[in-house]
Amino acid sequence: MLKLDQLSATVGEDDEAKTIINGLSLEVPAGEVHAIMGPNGAGKSTLSYVLTGRGGYEVTGGSALLEGEDLLEMDPEERAAKGLFLSFQYPVEIPGVPVMTFVRTAMNAQRSARGEEEISAPDFIKRSRELGKQLNLTPEMLKRPLNVGFSGGEKKRLEIFQMMMLEPRFAILDETDSGLDIDALRTVADGVNALRDPARGMLVITHYQRLLDHIKPDKVHVLAGGKIIKTGGPELALRLEKEGYDGVLGEAA
Amino acid sequence: MALSVSDLKDKFRNPGAAELELIARYAMLPESGQRERAFEAFASTGLPHRRMEAWKWTDFKANLKSVEASSRGAQCAPLPAADQAVIEFSAGSVSLPTSLPNGVKLHERKDAQALGDAEEVPLGAMTAALAGRVGGLDTLIIEVTETATTPLHIVAKGDRDETNFTRVSVIVRPGAHLDLVESHVGGAGFSSFLIEIGMQDGGSFNRTVLQHGSADEAQAITAVVNLGDKSEYTQTALAFGAKVARLETRLTHQESGSHAELNGAYLCAKGFHADFTSHVRHGAPSSVTRQVTKGAVLDGGTGVFQGKFHVPRTIGQHTDADMQHQALLLEDGAEVFAKPELEIYADDVECAHGNTSGALDPNQLFYMRQRGIPEAQARALLTEAFIAEALETAHESVRDALTDAARSFLMESVR
Repeated sequence: MLKLDQLSATVGEDDEAKTIINGLSLEVPAGEVHAIMGPNGAGKSTLSYVLTGRGGYEVTGGSALLEGEDLLEMDPEERAAKGLFLSFQYPVEIPGVPVMTFVRTAMNAQRSARGEEEISAPDFIKRSRELGKQLNLTPEMLKRPLNVGFSGGEKKRLEIFQMMMLEPRFAILDETDSGLDIDALRTVADGVNALRDPARGMLVITHYQRLLDHIKPDKVHVLAGGKIIKTGGPELALRLEKEGYDGVLGEAA
Repeated sequence: MALSVSDLKDKFRNPGAAELELIARYAMLPESGQRERAFEAFASTGLPHRRMEAWKWTDFKANLKSVEASSRGAQCAPLPAADQAVIEFSAGSVSLPTSLPNGVKLHERKDAQALGDAEEVPLGAMTAALAGRVGGLDTLIIEVTETATTPLHIVAKGDRDETNFTRVSVIVRPGAHLDLVESHVGGAGFSSFLIEIGMQDGGSFNRTVLQHGSADEAQAITAVVNLGDKSEYTQTALAFGAKVARLETRLTHQESGSHAELNGAYLCAKGFHADFTSHVRHGAPSSVTRQVTKGAVLDGGTGVFQGKFHVPRTIGQHTDADMQHQALLLEDGAEVFAKPELEIYADDVECAHGNTSGALDPNQLFYMRQRGIPEAQARALLTEAFIAEALETAHESVRDALTDAARSFLMESVR
């Protein structure tokens, strides 16, 4: 479903350009959840930004295909309309735009790009109420400007809320566990698990094994120095937790 | 003894074609001492130009080579009035409503009225001298004696006219209240609107203004406001500008405990210029002023903000005043000029001001695009949200219409 082949990317311009992703290959088939773990500075967040098309990064080689389509040729909004979703490590505040307005605008923009009909107001409200309830987001919170004045945990729950509303085909979760207490972690994980589907793929980027207790990955990849240096099953995450990156990386090198 | 036309010409320094036409118009109106004094005040500067400090970014003289008919009718629809009372001013006529909000009386004055401090507001002085319609109304006086429960609308609208000069004077009696909604929708090559507002003790007034001229028109909207004891004045304006447009407010806290809010937003496309200028004098203790001006400008557009708070020694004690101006430069080639000034002589006051200009936040834009919102729509939505704060005080019956006007402008213009 998501296929990265020898992907390389730099950040910064001209002489300042620095290679962060360095020949990264990875394949996530539909229906699977893969985890990417890695030490600080390994390129985890850069990978999520390169895949979603954020400015400031330059792809210098390789390819990134979603269901055979070249992601790197598309604008960020086209990638989103193709079903690519990023749960941000640091969700951005959008003052003056209420959550409901924002999500409905996004949903209808995606639908319109795909040639689908807009969602009706009653259907939208019904669905947002249901999902809000699952994620402990009150209707009052959904009327407030997006992420403005929300706590760290609430922001992460809002990311999952948007993901559940938008029903992407492929979701990247960038350190969604950071800043969450145990209860919020469980709420978020329940949301992610509810989206598991034979037609959907997910990439979960995390520092710690903790989230993976709740979201059981099919595969775990270790990212270091801008490439995948080791791939294994869920047990690899447990080993990393126990032995640290140095232990596992030392063995790989 | 009345001045002759040639005397008048002498009073102008190098009158241009437009000023000569204005002198000719003056000569057609009935003679009156008040009119003459106002016109003399105008003549001392002529059409304001860039060599005058208060007009350095808003040059009417350069933009008005001659008084010519606009090539356009109204630039947009007036703010919706439903079945509320509407007063419409056009080049040659005035249409008055058959029924008025309770507590509102209209007095039609056919002779020119005096204008205090006319030298401070050159275009106000010009309007005071030239607002007379030959054989008809000169100044419309709106007297408010109780709480008017429905708004009163004023529409200033031309149809390929040369000028539309209008003068209105509002008196709010003690404890009375009026909501006034003004739509200045263009259609005249040169339109100028002068409104004087006298707030008596405990009166309150909410003024909502929409300004939209075309790129070949000059527009001035001048308000002179005096606040009595514990009176409240709220003003909210949305301006799309014109070839040159100025919304000027001179407000004086004359007695203690009054409260003023002056909010405005400007949205300027290529070829459009909008100027918000205000002068607030805290001439009495313990008065409050809150001012928020927001703007967004595209390539080839110009926004101007000039704000001044003047707090004299002793009488201005316990003033509480805050002035904020924030502008978005949406594209390269957009211009914003800002001059916030605090002139404070009293020593026990709380006065603050803030002034910023910049571009949209790329992090916000990327976040929105990642969710599938196309870039132009994301920019329009962020800009709309940015200016919304300045429109919150608009009268509730037209607040959505103002927001909609801003939204459709942004959806059409922002790329």
